[in-house]
Amino acid sequence: MFCGFCFSLIPDMQAQEKFFRAIGTPHNPKVQVSWNRYHTNEGLLEIMRNMEKAYPSLVRLESIGKSYEDRDIWMLTISDFSKGDPDRKPAMYIDGNIHSNELQGTEFSLYTAWYLVEMHADLPFIQELLEDKTFYIAPSINPDARDYFIKSPNTPHSPRSGMIKLDDDLDGEVAEDGFDDLNEDGHITMMIRKSPTGRYVKDQRDPRKLIAVDPDELGEYEMLGYEGYDRDGDGKVNEDGIGYYDPNRDWGWKWQPDYVQRGAYKYPFSQPENRAVMEFVMKHPNIAGAQSYHNYGGMILRGPGAEEDLETYNQEDVRIYDAIAKKGEEMLPGYEYLVVYKDLYSVFGGELDWFYGGRGIYTYSNELMTSYLYFHKDAGRGNQDEQMMVDKYLTFGDAFVDWESYDHPQFGEIEIGGFKKNSGRLHPGFLMEQDAHRNMAFTVYHGFQTPKLEVIEVKEESQRGGIKTVTATIRNSRLIPTHSSQDLKYNIERPDWISLEGPEVLAGMVVVDEDFNKVEEQNFEPEKIRVKNIPGMGMVKVRWIVKGNRNYRIIVDSAKGGVTNWEK
Amino acid sequence: MVKALLTLPLLLFSLGLLAQDDYPTLKQLEERLKQLDIGFQEANLKSLGKTEGGKDIWLLELGTGSLHQKPAMVVAGGVEGFHLLGVEMSLQLAKKLLTDNKAILEKSSFYIFPNLSPDAYEQYFAPLKYERRGNAAKIDHDRDGRISEDGYEDLNDDGLITMMRIASPTGDHVPMEHRPELLRPANPQKGEKGQYLYKSEGTDKDKDGSFNEDPEEGIAFNKSLTYQFPAFETLAGDFPVSQVESRFLLDYLYEHPNIYTVFTFGPADNLSKPLAHDPQKASERVVTSIQKEDQILNEWISGKYRKHLPEDPFHNGNQGTDGDFFQWAYFHFGRLSLSTPGWFLPKQKDENEDVYSSQKDNFLAWADKQGMQDHMVEWVKVEHPDFPDHTVEVGGLKPFVLHNPPFHQVDSLAQIHTEFIVELATMHPQLSFIDMKTETLDRGLTRIKVKLFNDSPLPTHTALGKKSRWLKKIRVELSIAAENLLSGEKITLIDHLDAYGSREFSWIVKDGKTLTIKAGAPHTGTVSLDIAL
Repeated sequence: MFCGFCFSLIPDMQAQEKFFRAIGTPHNPKVQVSWNRYHTNEGLLEIMRNMEKAYPSLVRLESIGKSYEDRDIWMLTISDFSKGDPDRKPAMYIDGNIHSNELQGTEFSLYTAWYLVEMHADLPFIQELLEDKTFYIAPSINPDARDYFIKSPNTPHSPRSGMIKLDDDLDGEVAEDGFDDLNEDGHITMMIRKSPTGRYVKDQRDPRKLIAVDPDELGEYEMLGYEGYDRDGDGKVNEDGIGYYDPNRDWGWKWQPDYVQRGAYKYPFSQPENRAVMEFVMKHPNIAGAQSYHNYGGMILRGPGAEEDLETYNQEDVRIYDAIAKKGEEMLPGYEYLVVYKDLYSVFGGELDWFYGGRGIYTYSNELMTSYLYFHKDAGRGNQDEQMMVDKYLTFGDAFVDWESYDHPQFGEIEIGGFKKNSGRLHPGFLMEQDAHRNMAFTVYHGFQTPKLEVIEVKEESQRGGIKTVTATIRNSRLIPTHSSQDLKYNIERPDWISLEGPEVLAGMVVVDEDFNKVEEQNFEPEKIRVKNIPGMGMVKVRWIVKGNRNYRIIVDSAKGGVTNWEK
Repeated sequence: MVKALLTLPLLLFSLGLLAQDDYPTLKQLEERLKQLDIGFQEANLKSLGKTEGGKDIWLLELGTGSLHQKPAMVVAGGVEGFHLLGVEMSLQLAKKLLTDNKAILEKSSFYIFPNLSPDAYEQYFAPLKYERRGNAAKIDHDRDGRISEDGYEDLNDDGLITMMRIASPTGDHVPMEHRPELLRPANPQKGEKGQYLYKSEGTDKDKDGSFNEDPEEGIAFNKSLTYQFPAFETLAGDFPVSQVESRFLLDYLYEHPNIYTVFTFGPADNLSKPLAHDPQKASERVVTSIQKEDQILNEWISGKYRKHLPEDPFHNGNQGTDGDFFQWAYFHFGRLSLSTPGWFLPKQKDENEDVYSSQKDNFLAWADKQGMQDHMVEWVKVEHPDFPDHTVEVGGLKPFVLHNPPFHQVDSLAQIHTEFIVELATMHPQLSFIDMKTETLDRGLTRIKVKLFNDSPLPTHTALGKKSRWLKKIRVELSIAAENLLSGEKITLIDHLDAYGSREFSWIVKDGKTLTIKAGAPHTGTVSLDIAL
């Protein structure tokens, strides 16, 4: 029962006796977490609560809404709360587990929060990062089906959805014929049967493996699909279980209905989990970068999701996407920077498309786990031979349920066996921490590149009759602009405001070209200049004509670029 | 029984109330709905919830018995706040169904949503009237970081928002030749110099150079649904179905798979003129044209509709707009979707005997002929702070007159539409079993043959509905266990039956005395057949 405080049981002294620091990792964290296993919602909440208790000035934990089954969707806010309002700092949003079977995005997100707070005291880089930025981290945005995947019998691919039950086969009954864990081992594996016309044989050298025979050969086994039987008497097995809809086809940029985009539900954000995220994002216009985690295949993905949406991603923004993701490829060996519609599949209604198309936020989805991590070769996704090798030499049989015979009520004598639900797509424990760290580093890089605005120069020039001009230069010293070009196209976010407070302002203008005095005057409210954008690694100049000699203050107020002041 | 006892005095009372001479206020609407609810067993009134402005979204369910298992027709009014007619028509339709057309309720159910834009609808009754579309949500339409900072202003104090014309050499409008009280765009390519700037009534309150660009209204129901959603346009919002009333409605519709037809009273019109089919657009991944089979159906139904209209109607040119409800009901909900403004003017002819191309011109010619006096605001000079040195006049066509007939005309329009809607509901799919034969084979085996027949001029599924997961398949099921079937399936799912289409089934069963075959889908109704072996 004291586990909530177990971090306090290992005093520093003792730690120094027992451990020696490895570079790059908190060697004596206040919150102890084993990054080589997966967590249920209960396990996650305990870690998050401990982090909040251990670092109250760096961690805020809040529920941003409820899931379909009334679980909380938890959001961690990580920032240095003693250095400004976290909701006004440029922010990086990270989530995991939108697909319920894709567990590790949760642990990777949580690792990010944990790493930032546990290393905060040691590293000036992290101190500056959390002074400037905020990380909003929602480790699981699909908690219902996360627990269901872990606690109930499933395949590695089920469920992908949340827990809303639909009539998959449109027969008028809902979820009436799902998987059945016939051998009661907690995994849904495969059913095979001996058959005189079967097209498979068991590999003599490795009888776990079924191999297809040549066209002119007789085989021994036929495949009967995943474990189950025909519950409703319609002659089909497993045709209507949990699932069908896809939480990543539910987002409000160019959303299309199910007959166009399979997996879409009723309308954008008709799934409560996504609605909670959307509402959070709408209330936090300071989010300038975003990351969602999926599995698997080793990819850093950007949109467009759909080929029909190609024109949304214009060159100016793609340049920034490229710059960040190419750095990511270096940090993430085995990961490739790809574009969803052409390298994966063409889909509407994805999360990354809404974040970018609908909010103008640069967003990636990483497909975690890649064959490369096993033997430093790229054997591709779902490579059975490699999986068998891994299980033989690295996990020693932990990933596979050996074939055993079973008396099936409809198929008669069959055999059941195959890969477990936690194999293949999910990292084996020994590969998790490294990949979590590398992905964390990628999102830290992305977050670091959100705008950083500074007033770098203020020039005064006296004119006649107690009037002077004040010219201020505001620089953005990071890659990401305050408004992406998608944002500018639709005016998604309000302009940046650069205000002069103190003296009476007679006129205000944006200086387009200082050398040749080209300006654009703003005829209304001259003390508060509206600037459409402050580009990445660029600057804007504004000028006021003011009366008198009073001291003044310049305030830069940008939704995505934060607030900064300059005083005279 | 309790209901019946309550009915009489209330009905008598309601006769007095019904003698109204203008479109109903929200309060009157609620009272009339409640009278129907109390007065008729077949009526059930629900509020799906409240809008941002605290107004109820009312639903009147009409039907008998298990009404959610029969083919149903949705009737939607108030899809636009300025379309007052649709609200009154939905109400009158409900009343007429309950009083004069009860027989149809045996076959079909009705889900009547009389007013889907109550926040905007109220503007007609407000001290300042204008054709409002948006609800009460607080929206920053010009996306400048300030909410509703530049709305309309009543400069001539007549309680109406009309237009302003500002005499200016930089103007881009000129008076129309045959109707100088209205303006049209100048044509500088043909050497024509403009005379007026032409803007809606108001000032540039925030001095940003735009007029009335951020009014006190929120999101328009009929511009914010998922089909061709016009992202970030004024009144549409940032993403589709952002408003609570839209979600109430769509959730209800998605949860009622028995809906066959969606009938909209609104600006869009595919009844006086059917939609056109575009083979290219109909076959792309994102479908943006009606399917061929559905177009043929639309044409046939449109022909029936026109027979109810007294004269050759002037078509307003609106066959759907981005994000609207009528197109959503077909393209995204897969249903037979029909829409009509409910009021058509006859085609007027100009001095050259040509018909008009614009709805406004046709209306004005008609209004002249009728001797209407009250549809225009005379241009009057006003002082305008943004144009101190210019002549600024306010005037033009009054709001609402183009879309809503004088109230005394509504009764006859409601009668026409009730007749048509009843005719349509009578045609809803009707399944039956025909040509049943049993044949005794040896040793207790029986072969059963039967046809499932759709006795209706409408198919069970629209062509688009066949693709949609929101229409169920027709399920044909035998009451006996699968192991007693030697041939044929216990459960068969059929994608659809054509108009007057049928499908034959054959089974061989063993060891039974009686069995029942059931067939149907929620939107076709279910039939069953008992067979003695």
